[in-house]
Amino acid sequence: MSKDKLFGLIDLDWRFEITKFKPIRALFKSRWFPLLLIIANLFIFVVILVAGLMGGYSAGNYNFGIMLVWILWWVMLMLVLVPVFSRFWCTMCPFPVFSDWFQRGKLFGVRLGKLEGLNLRWPKKFRNMWIMNIGFLVTTFFSGFFTVRPLATFILLGGIILLAFIIGLVFEKRNFCLYVCPVSGFQGLYSQFAASEIRRIDPEVCAKHPVKTCFTGNEDGYGCPWMLTPFNFEKNTYCGMCLECFKSCPHDNMAFNLRPPGVDLLIDTKKSPKGLDEAYKAFIMLGIAIMFYTAFQGPWGGFKDMVRATTAKGYFTYVAMHASFNLLILPGIFLFFSWLSKLFSKSQEVTLKRIFINFAYTLIPLGLGIWIGFSLGIIMPNGSYLLHIISDPFAWGWNIFGTANLPWTPVFTGLMGYLQGVTLIVFYLFSLNYGNRIAKQLFPDPDQARRAWMPILTFLTLITFIFLWLFLG
Amino acid sequence: MKKNETIAVGLMIAATILTVIGIFAIEKFRLAKFYTLNLTARAPENGNWYPQEFTLPYGQKVNLRIRNIETVTHGFAIPDLKVAVSEIKAGQVKSVQFTPDKKGTFPFMCTVWCSENHMQMRGKITVE
Amino acid sequence: MKKILALVLILLFFGISFSFAEDRTITVKAKKFSYTPNKIEVNKGDHVTIRLMSEDVTHGLFIDGYGLNTKAHPGSDGSISFVANKTGKYAFRCSVTCGEFHPYMVGNLIVGPNHRFYFFGLIILVICIGSAAIPLLKRKS
Repeated sequence: MSKDKLFGLIDLDWRFEITKFKPIRALFKSRWFPLLLIIANLFIFVVILVAGLMGGYSAGNYNFGIMLVWILWWVMLMLVLVPVFSRFWCTMCPFPVFSDWFQRGKLFGVRLGKLEGLNLRWPKKFRNMWIMNIGFLVTTFFSGFFTVRPLATFILLGGIILLAFIIGLVFEKRNFCLYVCPVSGFQGLYSQFAASEIRRIDPEVCAKHPVKTCFTGNEDGYGCPWMLTPFNFEKNTYCGMCLECFKSCPHDNMAFNLRPPGVDLLIDTKKSPKGLDEAYKAFIMLGIAIMFYTAFQGPWGGFKDMVRATTAKGYFTYVAMHASFNLLILPGIFLFFSWLSKLFSKSQEVTLKRIFINFAYTLIPLGLGIWIGFSLGIIMPNGSYLLHIISDPFAWGWNIFGTANLPWTPVFTGLMGYLQGVTLIVFYLFSLNYGNRIAKQLFPDPDQARRAWMPILTFLTLITFIFLWLFLG
Repeated sequence: MKKNETIAVGLMIAATILTVIGIFAIEKFRLAKFYTLNLTARAPENGNWYPQEFTLPYGQKVNLRIRNIETVTHGFAIPDLKVAVSEIKAGQVKSVQFTPDKKGTFPFMCTVWCSENHMQMRGKITVE
Repeated sequence: MKKILALVLILLFFGISFSFAEDRTITVKAKKFSYTPNKIEVNKGDHVTIRLMSEDVTHGLFIDGYGLNTKAHPGSDGSISFVANKTGKYAFRCSVTCGEFHPYMVGNLIVGPNHRFYFFGLIILVICIGSAAIPLLKRKS
């Protein structure tokens, strides 16, 4: 049997374990490791909150909070953190640190036994992405405020931190991160494409280890706060990379691997099935990308007036348009193509629902590519603001690093089109490659698979052309 | 173990409470030490200059800090004293040093077209 | 057949650039937070003059890729002159903070023929058709 290779080049089973290097393993096993990163980020977010509060209603483009969150953090998430390092942001995220501290009673050490708080279990019907889907979509209704008004960013971030704490009081462990955090949803979705993962090394070692300390915890580390089973979980979606399993595994059987991007997209097992919630997340992310690009990087002033709510009528029209586009129109169009796919395949066994859900995962690489293109359109023209705001974070005339008076200078904007075009094509290729495989998984008969794939190929090509036109046309 | 826990809690407090206190303490110190007056620039419909009238000592060097807390660019000028700051971008701060060499009351105004009421964005400065 | 295809491609890439260079003067009106016209189309080699007029507050106009900048406020117009020697779509954006949506105040300058767009479009089309055709060819052989 020939090995399955990505583009005929990279073996899908290829892994490179970073933690095989002793210093890195030692670092991952140290209880200081994510903690110091978290505290460092907490410091940055405290400054962001103060700047957001002080900045009030003033212009966002010279505000530390706005610029760090929406220019640096968001762009870093889309450009580097998610595509390469999966959910590494969650490793260092400071939002849930207060609820962790409360639940554990300790910052550094490991508390054995029951954690503080009510420790309720998360309701079963909400153990999916729907809350995050709706939460994130509703958040984007206000993007015309969050991204430009410092006080709005303060309220958003403050609200997230407060919510994380409250949910930590009531529900056990990291349920906030798993099922509520708006940033978590898209990271979970796109981390399936990421080029890295945390997995156990040798299943035999786990099988011979009767007490699954990675799940129950021991004196070296907590049982998985994300309530996964580190000894056998299969995909990145709900792994927050908190690194506790590295600490609690007595056999050093956990690994941080580099891998070919996207292998999680092929996983459709009983343990981690493809689901409608994740399919919808893919549509919502794509729909938001279209809306954001037209509103924030497009030349259409009328639409901007609606988004920034110059009139109540315009704003509600935008909200209605945005919501229905993401929840009905875009999935509706895809449903039509899925229906065509079923029609072409002439298959009786595979249901339309399965075709719709499984093929929706082909939007993950393309969607991520589109967000990268969008992020380039933010960072290249506006990245120079960062140098200003780190020197004068509160607009009080400080000049910490001597860069407070640098003027706004867009960089390499002439190259932007090329970069966006190349990005689109690369991620389009990934989508096609994985789409083909998903088709073959769905339809065991190769001819059926090929015929069923054609409408989806058309859909993906159309989306790619739409963005090529938006970016370059 | 106990020691590490104490260090962690210490760092945590430093990153939150001490950071906030530090930020405001430094700002208070800077304002008292380097600046004579803090002037806030806003378009007339949003509150105009604050303070709109103020007094400066004659013949003494002053350092004005002008903060634009709005979303449009403003400028600042006292034509009679030959003082001008051409552009204060939204959310930015400019400082201007000068020695009032004339006694009397002089107008100061915004020099960048900032709103429909731009021409009303002016105030009075008294030198005595 | 191949010759015709090659000819079409060459025409697509270079055909339009044979048109003569013109002097183009375009008046752009700026108002929070858009430009009118929001899309300027010129051809490669044109001598372009953009006159910027503001209808409310001080606005600027910076052209991506060309790196040119001007500003205007009511009663005082700005102006940029340049030879459109780089083809493609370039955003022009406001360069003076004019309000909360200032970073989003954008217009498009399109210098034709838009080679980049055609080039990437062609690649996507080739990939699409190729990926659909390859399994068929494989089956035949």
